[in-house]
Amino acid sequence: MTTIAPAPVRAFVPSGSGLSFGGELRSEWIKLRTVRSTIWSYATVIVISLGLAALMSASIDLAGREIPAVEQATFLAQPATFGVFFGQLVVAVLGVLAISGEYSTGMIRSSITAVPRRLPMLAAKAVVLFVCTFVVGLISTIGSYLVAAMFLAGKGVTASLADPDLLLPLLGGAVYLALVAVFALGVGAMLRSSAGGIAASLGILLLLPIVLSMIPAQWLADLLPYLISNAGLASFGLNGFTSASFETWQNILIVLGWVAVSLAGAAVLLKRRDA
Amino acid sequence: MIQAQSLTKRYGSKTAVDAVDFTVQPGRVTGFLGPNGAGKSTTMRMIVGLDRPTHGSVTVNGKQYREHKAPLREVGVLLDAKAIHTGRSAYNHLLAMAATHSIPASRVKEVIELTGLDSVARKRVGGFSLGMGQRLGIAAALLGDPATLILDEPVNGLDPEGVQWVRHLVRHLAAEGRTIMLSSHLMSEMAVTADHLIVLGRGRVIADAPVAELIGAATRKTVRVRTPYAPELAALFQSADITVTRTEADLLEIVGVTAADIGNQAARAGIALHELTPISASLEEAYMALTQNDVEYRTGGTPDDPAAEHSVADLQESVR
Repeated sequence: MTTIAPAPVRAFVPSGSGLSFGGELRSEWIKLRTVRSTIWSYATVIVISLGLAALMSASIDLAGREIPAVEQATFLAQPATFGVFFGQLVVAVLGVLAISGEYSTGMIRSSITAVPRRLPMLAAKAVVLFVCTFVVGLISTIGSYLVAAMFLAGKGVTASLADPDLLLPLLGGAVYLALVAVFALGVGAMLRSSAGGIAASLGILLLLPIVLSMIPAQWLADLLPYLISNAGLASFGLNGFTSASFETWQNILIVLGWVAVSLAGAAVLLKRRDA
Repeated sequence: MIQAQSLTKRYGSKTAVDAVDFTVQPGRVTGFLGPNGAGKSTTMRMIVGLDRPTHGSVTVNGKQYREHKAPLREVGVLLDAKAIHTGRSAYNHLLAMAATHSIPASRVKEVIELTGLDSVARKRVGGFSLGMGQRLGIAAALLGDPATLILDEPVNGLDPEGVQWVRHLVRHLAAEGRTIMLSSHLMSEMAVTADHLIVLGRGRVIADAPVAELIGAATRKTVRVRTPYAPELAALFQSADITVTRTEADLLEIVGVTAADIGNQAARAGIALHELTPISASLEEAYMALTQNDVEYRTGGTPDDPAAEHSVADLQESVR
């Protein structure tokens, strides 16, 4: 190296607003709402939920039997939350795509350049995904309740939304959907691939409970209630592939555990790996 | 200002960037030149924290990139055209990037106009041509009105008008006192755009000098002289800034003197010349020569050009 040309002018000094978590949340909200897969996924969750509620409540034949007044709210909650069983698969796909889509397109490099500490980006994504999925979940379960109530009113079953036996399952279903989306986000972030992330998430949610319940080993059967989908569905009264064996709060803790492990794994790998 | 200190990146047993040291100064355009696989992109990725250095460090204005409170205002970067979600429109992509730093939507519109993307801003990026993708990448780099601009192969895929536009843009931004670093594997492009060059080969810095100096070195004339009295003629040109190489019994290559001077002196000394040919190495040849030992992927077959071989020695000599 020989001479260095003198800098002709004074160095440019940057100015203006900087990074903030609020800004990162807004960014993730824009990202989520501006891809088609989000719109399609959420629309599918709502449509399937309402459709299943209609199908289920219309085809219930009480055969003259009367549901006791104290059980009517719980009875009505069943068709109102039945759609969550299918909705969880759709939001899992969405959760994976929210991050794997960035890896497959290279967008992740733009995202990480904007938020080079990386973890706030993952956190903002998780918060936005949770809130949006919760709102969509609530629209689904409350909408499904309205549909089911319409069909079941003629069969002598009614309940008010204010009844905690009805409201809590509706809320619980929505929260569970939101948590599944965040769980899948973590899986997608760890695997960085849409195909792999979707396969793993659906495998854990759907396949694992079926496979474990088919193998005739008691210790495997004992594991069943600890699976995320079994615990999650049981937390608001839907029994998946196991009979409920935990309290609601225990089931919620189990789901939170799965989500925490998934997000923690994603955070460690996101921080450590080259993007 | 970008400062790299023994910056190293290894992928397994392969060393992509090998303990490089360099400084990119504000107020001028610094070209980052090297053949494919020389480590240009990896170095740029390490500057903005996408890749973690195996060893050493690199700072932007005295801090690691991720330590800055407003990274996008500090550094604007175009790494490759494929850093954008294909399902999103150009406008929404920029809007999402801008939101992280609370950059207003008016700035998004500004960079869209600046890069000439108005007509396609609402279209999904998946359908963009390479050139449009490149313009969008440049628009994203400019979003934060950054003090440092890092552009990896910015003219890749651009039409001649776009190439010229990028050239003017970076010169203009450098004149405002910004730090501009742009990479290319084309010497000809760098010769007209950059003020300063850092040449990389196989992960190492092989030249770091002002463009004018590299051009001067590269365009030093070689004169080929054929004469039966080669030793006698060579004896006439014994000076520090003249090099004489005897390539055949009756053939000399002389650097540092014009053909006219050689002819005149030979006539005065009564030496008969059978051939007197000025050979000028082009910039491209000089660059090829400079990097030929450091090329990762080489096409086979072509024998080395002796003229180019000659100028590599000159070039490396003058650069050190």
